[in-house]
Amino acid sequence: MIEIKNLTAKYQSEHEVYTALEHISLEIPTGGTCAVIGPSGCGKSTLLKVMAGIIQEYEGDVRIDGRPVKPAEQKIGFIPQNYGLLPWKNVDDNICLGVKIKDSAAKVNRSKLQKIMVQLGLEGLGQRYPGELSGGQQQRVGLARAFFLQPDVLLMDEPFSALDAITREEMQDVFLLLWQKYEVSTIIVTHYVEEAIYLGQKIVILSTKPGRISKVIDNPLFGGKDIRQQTEFFAMGLKLRNLIKKDWGK
Amino acid sequence: MRRCTTLWYAAAVVVLFTIWWITATIVSRPIIPSPFLVGENLADVFVKYIAIHGAYSLWRIASGLILAVAVGLPLGVIMGYFSRADRLLAPLVYLTYPIPKIALLPILMLLCGVGEMAKVLMIFLIIVFQVIIAVRDGIRSIPKETYYPLYSLGASFREIFVEVLWPASLPKFITAVRVALATAISVLFFTETFGTQYGMGYFIMDAWLRVNYLEMYSGIVVLSLIGLVLFGIIDCIERYVCHWQYK
Repeated sequence: MIEIKNLTAKYQSEHEVYTALEHISLEIPTGGTCAVIGPSGCGKSTLLKVMAGIIQEYEGDVRIDGRPVKPAEQKIGFIPQNYGLLPWKNVDDNICLGVKIKDSAAKVNRSKLQKIMVQLGLEGLGQRYPGELSGGQQQRVGLARAFFLQPDVLLMDEPFSALDAITREEMQDVFLLLWQKYEVSTIIVTHYVEEAIYLGQKIVILSTKPGRISKVIDNPLFGGKDIRQQTEFFAMGLKLRNLIKKDWGK
Repeated sequence: MRRCTTLWYAAAVVVLFTIWWITATIVSRPIIPSPFLVGENLADVFVKYIAIHGAYSLWRIASGLILAVAVGLPLGVIMGYFSRADRLLAPLVYLTYPIPKIALLPILMLLCGVGEMAKVLMIFLIIVFQVIIAVRDGIRSIPKETYYPLYSLGASFREIFVEVLWPASLPKFITAVRVALATAISVLFFTETFGTQYGMGYFIMDAWLRVNYLEMYSGIVVLSLIGLVLFGIIDCIERYVCHWQYK
């Protein structure tokens, strides 16, 4: 379970203090997903960085499974926008990085690694380097690394935004498949309305400057079969868009 | 690909020796002996006279280099990763970096004597600044996002060093050593003309004073080969540890 209570986060630039997030309160049940959608500069990424323990100075209370965020004690999977792969490590080593740091290199379960690579269509690519992979393949490696760690919470920062439309939909399906298998509480930050509807049990709309929660929607369409083809999906998309337009236009 | 490169190198060697041979034939004086005569002489005297001098020179370069890496690498890492340390140390490094180190040789000799210490320190001074600056810049150019997955895993500084800082700065570090080494060899030659009876610098100058041009040329060839071998070793190391760069 992820609990955020009254979170306010500020950035100190050279001349002024800039409030990125203000009074954010949110609960995500264990094994649930939450899509956060908001305009550029609304503090979406800041929210993830607080959750990931990268930003440690904030006001309010952020807890993962009842304990305050501490990267050293919890297993936090974080996939940044550029997938966060290390160019000097091959695919195998990149996927194992999380387990290696959390436990030890000796604890890497080779057969489990093999299994997750097959699930993600990465078999045979273990010795390749990120620079030799396509964007979609790199994203798969990023997902493999995150799920291989079996994290308490998974944070994804616009994970599919650099991919073309077809690959993006494919990767969204891959993500859902893994998520169903491993049941990880997940926060996905996105600026695509369709992505939020497809991947978020809960959809949180943030407003900008400073980032505040303007609406939380329980998504009735989540997990439906072939929902991308359904009229409800389009209707929901339209509804969300209108909501957002009204909200961001203020 | 590799065979092709080797072939080109062999061709370059042939071209250089041909130019030398033609020049020797045209000038036709003992000041420029033919490469064949030098080769013959080298085969005769290498083990007997030159090897010991070569070993001394290599030892000096190696100890200067190791010392420079041992000091420069940690300093570069600290300056690159901790901006506060950089603010403190950067002025010192920048103010001392442009001083031509060879100009400090008299002072070094007065302080450390004319023995080994001054020579090794000279090479150290030439390499260390390049290493510091290359490693620092290498680390600074790592995008912040690269660290995020490690921070979120609660990685320690040691883990961040091993997984990110070291591999990311390695290519620049190796390039810096390669560039600095060329200067270091020239300076080595210069320092070996004082206060020693061993080293390639001594051997070449001594042969010159004895008007033994064949030995002098043999010495020059050996010193050049030392440089070439060191470059080759650095290239091999780079290809091995930074092979991800060429993918």
